[in-house]
Amino acid sequence: MMSFDSAPSTYSNLQALHLEIPPVSTTAAAFSTPGCRWNADLNQMALDAFLPWLRDEFTSSAKVWMESTLPSIWEFVNGTAIALHPESAISTLRLVLIPSEGIDTDELRVPQEWVDLPSWAADYYLAVQVNPDDGWIEVWGYTSHERLKTHGVYDAGDRSYSLAEDDLIHDLTVLQVAQEFCPAETRRAAIAPIPALKLTQATHLIERLGNSTLAFPRLEIPFSMWGALLEHGGWRKRLYERRQGMAESWSVADWLQAGVSTLAEQIGWQRTTLQFAAVRGTRSLPTAGLVRSLTIAGKSYQLQIAALGDRLTPEVSVWQFELRSANSTETIPAGVTLRLLTEDLQPFENNEDVAQEAVERLYIDVALQPGEGLVWEVQPTPEGYDREVLRF
Amino acid sequence: MRSRQTLVDLFSTFVRFDAETFSGWISDPKLRRSMDQLIKQATEGTSEGFWILYWHKVWQTQTTDLATNHMTAYLQEACYWVARKMALNLAGRQSTADLFQTAIARTRHVLKGFNPQFSSNLKSYAEFAFSNVIKDTLRQQQETDICTDWALLQKVSQKRLVDALTHAGIDTQTIAAYGLAWKCFKHQYAPNNSGTSRKLVRPDGVTWQAIAQTYNAERTSQLISGSACSPDQLEQWLLTAARSVRFFLYSTPISIDAPLPGQEHTGLVDLLPNAEQESLLGILIAQEEVSDRQMQQTQLSQVILDAIAQLEDSMQQLLQAYYGQQMTQQQIAQLLNMPQYTISRRLASLKKTLLKALACWSQDTLHISVTSDVLSSMSAVLEEWLTVHYQPADPS
Repeated sequence: MMSFDSAPSTYSNLQALHLEIPPVSTTAAAFSTPGCRWNADLNQMALDAFLPWLRDEFTSSAKVWMESTLPSIWEFVNGTAIALHPESAISTLRLVLIPSEGIDTDELRVPQEWVDLPSWAADYYLAVQVNPDDGWIEVWGYTSHERLKTHGVYDAGDRSYSLAEDDLIHDLTVLQVAQEFCPAETRRAAIAPIPALKLTQATHLIERLGNSTLAFPRLEIPFSMWGALLEHGGWRKRLYERRQGMAESWSVADWLQAGVSTLAEQIGWQRTTLQFAAVRGTRSLPTAGLVRSLTIAGKSYQLQIAALGDRLTPEVSVWQFELRSANSTETIPAGVTLRLLTEDLQPFENNEDVAQEAVERLYIDVALQPGEGLVWEVQPTPEGYDREVLRF
Repeated sequence: MRSRQTLVDLFSTFVRFDAETFSGWISDPKLRRSMDQLIKQATEGTSEGFWILYWHKVWQTQTTDLATNHMTAYLQEACYWVARKMALNLAGRQSTADLFQTAIARTRHVLKGFNPQFSSNLKSYAEFAFSNVIKDTLRQQQETDICTDWALLQKVSQKRLVDALTHAGIDTQTIAAYGLAWKCFKHQYAPNNSGTSRKLVRPDGVTWQAIAQTYNAERTSQLISGSACSPDQLEQWLLTAARSVRFFLYSTPISIDAPLPGQEHTGLVDLLPNAEQESLLGILIAQEEVSDRQMQQTQLSQVILDAIAQLEDSMQQLLQAYYGQQMTQQQIAQLLNMPQYTISRRLASLKKTLLKALACWSQDTLHISVTSDVLSSMSAVLEEWLTVHYQPADPS
């Protein structure tokens, strides 16, 4: 007699990778509708089941992309990206998990964002069937960016690329073995860069799309505009917050007065007392400031922000951004750059400090008007970096 | 079942069912003519293996239905026996005829997965593949049966939804409207507990209002035409959609592959000359390959056997349990008192070892440059090989 337990391996393709979902830590984040929240839940379940396997079987260095701000992705699109070998730039491999609750496995449908946005695109897309009631997932197929882009059917109606079941590779072992036997195989198709948005455009779009009665903001405006908005981490986070009806969470002045917002705290910002005396000479008083940890090329650093006290005019105040090693005995190696950009990512005068040789700290002083936004960058890019717009 | 005797029959006749049981072979005149002609052209005596390779090659390079139809005819027996065996196992819950139709409709899927370079033979590969198709359909039916309509709507892919509605005879514009209603439903309504997603109940009034509001706001930009919709109307649509999805899974697919026996296909007549031109070249190539392939398959078998022999005993036992006794990963886990996760990982690692052995062999001995597609087809061959190798001896 054929057994009728619900375990998929009784019936389905032997090639699929079957994994149990560990007891889930449900996400406490807010979403604008039940559908968005469920999308987040399915992604979380797929990730929780798949990541331990990936770390054991593939590489221990597998890291979730944008781990601290996943809700701002799941509010808008299905899918979760994972970077493998992020420490060595040469062999970086990106996977996107595309979970589906579907009983059928007729297609892999990938939102366009994961295919056509340069900073979102990946090497491989994995079709994950999630059975939340029985607590398992099956990775039942995968494809490469190149295959999806050249053989996939583009659906303008929901802006997605899809491939039928028969066009996928069903055995994830193939992905592993391919890295050994054909590492040079073409994995990605060419994609065009997305033109940047102007600040006024972006502000206007966030205002418009932030209205949560608009059900599908990703379909409201041309893809390139939508893509530019999403690729900018600061704008994506603000749009997400707007749709949850949250107040501005990125005001540095508010953080200093009332405490760091929950979202910023999740990313790692903290209030602290900073001592600028040693380097500035003239200011010996401890200053209230902000600090967050960064990991750059495997080492720990701290990014600090503080008001320098003196105002150029009643409206304009001076702030200092400073990067130093988390370990007081270590220095910053030559080549590391700390850079500030305007909200729409434009450089300005004296906006960066580059370590010409190993230095104790990098810093930039910047005069800002109230309400102005800044984006910080460090090169090499810190692990899990996502742009944020800090408002002063 | 009386098995077919001549080459022409093998590639041009179809199973006929009479009240759910096999009643005989029915010949397709077009296919018969096509085979007759080709056999005359082939100067030397040809074998079954030769024609399998030949038609598979034509199938890969041509977009016409001729090769698919010949292959569908050829695969009738393999499909029949798989369907029959499964029907016996199901103790009457599904008839051989139903399972046969389900499986034979996926002939293209089988042909796509078959790699004549490595697979031992098409018949045994097809048995493996048809049996997976049927198992997967049964799994889906079983899962669908315990879902409420609302749960089912959450658990259907967009492709399946559209296919089911198309199958139900609904026109494209209406399907688009249903599709939008479905998206709005999924946007505004979802399970809130991951343990009971199959039991999802009907949305409440407030949710229906929200769904209707979303639909009416979106329809102007997302649909070519269509008027405003009330919650009641949307509910009717969604219930129709859920019914269509259920029905689609149980309906005997109208096979797009198999020609209706005895009917003349006008298209086929025009295509024959074209196929003839292909055939001359094809025959030359195929003839050479038959013997090469046989040698390769013996080698391939040896490579896998050698790789298995080098595995630890416990790993060999795992292969035996999984492929031979066809235990599920859960059953093996319980037996060995290990988490399922460990079993899954061990199987994956076993497969990796064996796949690498095959990749090395094809690279070093066959001088095939290994690509993901080559590996993928080897992986399927490996699954088939393991299934056949560990299969308990079958009296049939």
